[in-house]
Amino acid sequence: MSAAMKSSLSNKLQQNVSSCKILVVGAGGIGCELLKNLALTGFSDIEVIDLDTIDVSNLNRQFLFRKEHVGKSKSQVAKESTLKFNPDVNIVAYHDSVMNPDYGVNFFKKFKLVMNALDNRAARNHVNRMCLAADVPLVESGTAGYLGQVTVIKKGLTECYECRPKATQKTFPGCTIRNTPSEPIHCVVWAKHLFNQLFGEDDPDQDVSPDTEDPELTAEAGEKALEKETEGNGKDLERKSTRVWAVENGYNPEKIFSKLFRDDIKYLLSMEALWKTRRPPEPLDWSNLSDATPSSATQMRDQRIWSMKECGEVFGNCLGKLKVDLAAQGEDGMLVWDKDDETALDFVVSAANIRANIFGISQKSRFDIKSMAGNIIPAIATTNAIIAALIVMEALKILNDQFDKCTTVYLNRKPNFRKKLLDAGRLDKPNPKCYVCSAKPEVTVVLNTQKITIKFLEEKILKGDLGMVAPDVEIDNGMGTIIISSEEGETEENNEKLLSSFGIINGSRLKCDDFLQNYNLNITIAHVEKLEDEKDFMVVGDMAELQAKLEENSKKKEEGTGAALEKSKEEEEDDLEIIDDTEAMETAPTDTSPKKRKADELDCTPTAKKQKKSIGGDGDADVVEIL
Amino acid sequence: MAAVTKSGLDKNNKYDRQLRLWGDHGQSALESARVCLINATATGTEILKNLILPGIGSFTIIDEHKVQGEDVGNNFFLSKESIGSSRARTATELLSELNEDVSGDFIEESPSNLIENNPDFFASFTIVIATNMDEKSLLQLGELLWNLHVPLLICRCYGFIGYIRLVVKEHNVIESHPDSTHEDLRLDRPIPAFVTLCDSLDMSSMNKKDHSHTPWLIVLYKYLQQWKDSHGGELPKIYKEKSQLKELIRNGVLKNKDGVPEDEENFDEAVRNVNTALHPTSVPSDVQKLFKDPACLNLTSESRPFWILTRAVKDFVEHEGKGALPVRGTIPDMTSDSERYIKLQSVYRDQAAKDVSDVTRRVHKLLQELGQNPCSISEKDIKTFCRNSAFLRVIRCRSLKDEYNPETANVTLIGQHLEDEDGDDVVFYTLLRSVDKFYEKYNHYPGYYTQQVESDITELKACLSKLLQDWSLSSTVKDDYIHEMCRYGASELHTISAYIGGVAAQEAIKMITGQFLPINNTYIYNAMKQSSTTLDL
Repeated sequence: MSAAMKSSLSNKLQQNVSSCKILVVGAGGIGCELLKNLALTGFSDIEVIDLDTIDVSNLNRQFLFRKEHVGKSKSQVAKESTLKFNPDVNIVAYHDSVMNPDYGVNFFKKFKLVMNALDNRAARNHVNRMCLAADVPLVESGTAGYLGQVTVIKKGLTECYECRPKATQKTFPGCTIRNTPSEPIHCVVWAKHLFNQLFGEDDPDQDVSPDTEDPELTAEAGEKALEKETEGNGKDLERKSTRVWAVENGYNPEKIFSKLFRDDIKYLLSMEALWKTRRPPEPLDWSNLSDATPSSATQMRDQRIWSMKECGEVFGNCLGKLKVDLAAQGEDGMLVWDKDDETALDFVVSAANIRANIFGISQKSRFDIKSMAGNIIPAIATTNAIIAALIVMEALKILNDQFDKCTTVYLNRKPNFRKKLLDAGRLDKPNPKCYVCSAKPEVTVVLNTQKITIKFLEEKILKGDLGMVAPDVEIDNGMGTIIISSEEGETEENNEKLLSSFGIINGSRLKCDDFLQNYNLNITIAHVEKLEDEKDFMVVGDMAELQAKLEENSKKKEEGTGAALEKSKEEEEDDLEIIDDTEAMETAPTDTSPKKRKADELDCTPTAKKQKKSIGGDGDADVVEIL
Repeated sequence: MAAVTKSGLDKNNKYDRQLRLWGDHGQSALESARVCLINATATGTEILKNLILPGIGSFTIIDEHKVQGEDVGNNFFLSKESIGSSRARTATELLSELNEDVSGDFIEESPSNLIENNPDFFASFTIVIATNMDEKSLLQLGELLWNLHVPLLICRCYGFIGYIRLVVKEHNVIESHPDSTHEDLRLDRPIPAFVTLCDSLDMSSMNKKDHSHTPWLIVLYKYLQQWKDSHGGELPKIYKEKSQLKELIRNGVLKNKDGVPEDEENFDEAVRNVNTALHPTSVPSDVQKLFKDPACLNLTSESRPFWILTRAVKDFVEHEGKGALPVRGTIPDMTSDSERYIKLQSVYRDQAAKDVSDVTRRVHKLLQELGQNPCSISEKDIKTFCRNSAFLRVIRCRSLKDEYNPETANVTLIGQHLEDEDGDDVVFYTLLRSVDKFYEKYNHYPGYYTQQVESDITELKACLSKLLQDWSLSSTVKDDYIHEMCRYGASELHTISAYIGGVAAQEAIKMITGQFLPINNTYIYNAMKQSSTTLDL
């Protein structure tokens, strides 16, 4: 420990700092800064975990990494770079996901303190639960562009990460994506789905073909279209999956183009009900694409809007290249879409713009689409430096047993009207109804028991929304019927069965247990026929909250302001995020409001207008809501 | 901006996450910036690190010191092996590793020597950042840079306190990135081509599809005309009148054969936008102030492009603009078929282009009259300037000399803060000033030698009293603060340096790119409370 540190810290604190074992989760933008700060503050027993490898776009801020490290493990390189300057520090690096079952409650119990430097909500939820289970204090943090936040979580004393409901990650209704896109983001989402259908993991929720079950279609119209389809060509092929069809056709650009952008569109046109009040889409012909450029052609490739002809060429080239990439993966291989992969990005840019053109939606530049498709959150060295310093200050207070002095701090984009760049506030008490940290966690899930399968319950609800990793579930019916087991293979035959087939009805209770997270949750099922906005399910705290939510929804509808601040967030990016709105930031706007920031913090809450704009991906969206 | 960096990496990839904040032109400004750092302290190297990573052009470190054990303890960019060697050289070498596209240089000399013997040396820098300078040299440097028009950023970390002071005579901001802005739609004084476009559309004869895809801007304009016709040509101003207009629009929604209104999103949008879209077109008061600024009124052959552009826009407003700024030329996204949306877009874009060409003519005329190179202001710059003309800002900091002279110091403000119970961040400003007085007298900082802490406390108190007396302030400062200050013993803690390193680098980036408003002029961070204050001293 430096002499300076010694003179400024009490003896006891110095002792704590130099002897305690701490865990840093994440070695990205915040993590790099944090490791440096910790080493120079006198911490000497540090473990760091990160599953990621180094990318070129990290180098503008993750200063422990250099060009020659691209592709290597973040945690390993971060460790080596830190040791180069501070050889006396002990660092253990794990190149792994913190959600891996190897890191159980006993692993977390080793630490005096855990510091998150994460970029996604799933991992934050998980570490939150692990720290609660192990009763280890956690410093949580996130940045987005110029904004940032740091807060402290201590079991029983403060709110946990999940005490307040976060804006859910809004997805677009399937029929908007497949049948009636009206905004650029709809086309971008479709293009990413197309990438996965052709080259990636098969996900039936990402179907790109016309949807005959569009609720706007009367039963009759849907059937009519279906009939037409069966008598026509290729119905069976389509059902076979886009992938199989594409492989059989050798990823022939003309065939794929013609199917997606001519035949499917013609088919959509046959669903006449959709186009009564909408501009009907206009099919495109592969051999006759316009080379008219929507704006001046003098700009850089990244910034200008491509002509249809150029889009077609890029689309064709990308199919060729991706086909080769896929083949290189061997049998059963697949590609994972990556915004930093040139070909993968070009594919989405071309496909999204072709679709936008067909539907009369404004086209976007490659630069903008990268941000929309990749949910890129701007990230800079300065903000991460500030936030990592604030984390250490909170850590020192925790090690000094001064939980009462710990704060939750927001970094504003500029001094607010009270001339404060930082807003520090007291930590709130735990929410007694929190479905994670309360004594008896309870939650109500609203869904249709006759439509939801066991697999959907497990993957989308328990692991998705409720953040579990390996749940066991039994029905609380006196018989202890186990419907989901974390033991592989034990309940697989249940996967495709509906909840109703197990006698689950309105008011049924499910006991869920995640052994890894040491987390028990009782779920009450509320059965409804249909939810708003084509949602499949909704998680609410308890019945009272459900009632309030339903009322609010109906009110919103009356006002007709569907000011839907949608986020398209599907994956998260860097350092951002406690900001869970990572989503918010970036290209992907979100609801910011529910967070109760104090009045003087409001100046950095974005206006609805701004958010909407950011959907379009132009302009920098420094919206934030953190935590 | 070259597409590929020296290091062979694609710039768009390497800098992608920041380009989304300040754009290609911001990045270009950064890449041509020359940054000077005085003293490679922990704070100094942290600031430079945060400027080298995003890619400034070059940096120069001025430092006469040798690396000491103390430096290694708090400075990431100095290693144990470097103890005894030049701090400037070692820091330059290690910082240079952060980004191959940035060139680094160093000078082993004291800043006061340079100030005395080679004052022009500083003229070539985009910004000078100074850490750990004594009061006397700082005042000299402040005066020198003030006259050279080079911004000076003074940074300091003292125990758990951080301090930043920006000193610049004048800084012009074209892209201030305001948090919220009204769209520039001009419904109160419509663009002629817009009127023509609206008049060519007859909504009553449209089919359902066209009706519900008429952009809301046109819908609003149509009903606004109706409202004006029945109100003597006046626009709705008060809440009640705007509500009436909204009602009028709602009644225009098509009805189905049962008389039930259809779902027409464009009409919803028109209603929703009544309040903001009818915001009267005017020149914002901040910009009016610039028009009256002597620098705008009295152009000379030395005038900077910013003022020539401001003058050209002022003249435009008074002539072609008929009282309004150049049209911004962008419209928001809205429900529409693409054909009419594109038409609408071109109406605004064409008008903006026309306004830019009017301003350009004025700029060239002014440059000629002033004897400046008529090509010295590019078409692109004029365009950016016009698009941002409603958000122009000028920052004029008070000089260090004025701050340090008790006659001209902003004593009232300091006094208010000291009286304010919440104002203890400013207490630390007065204490920082006091420890400098202390240093001047004793040649060490209070508490630096552990055995003298008690006597130092008394002496520091005396220095503080003297300072308050000079300011004619009767405020008192709690002993606790004085003790704390002595406990710090002028130590520079890495975490505080890291914090100030982030904040100061961000301010430097604002200065270099000319985007966003920098802090004017003092920033104080109190790490114990995680609080901070900005004030104009």
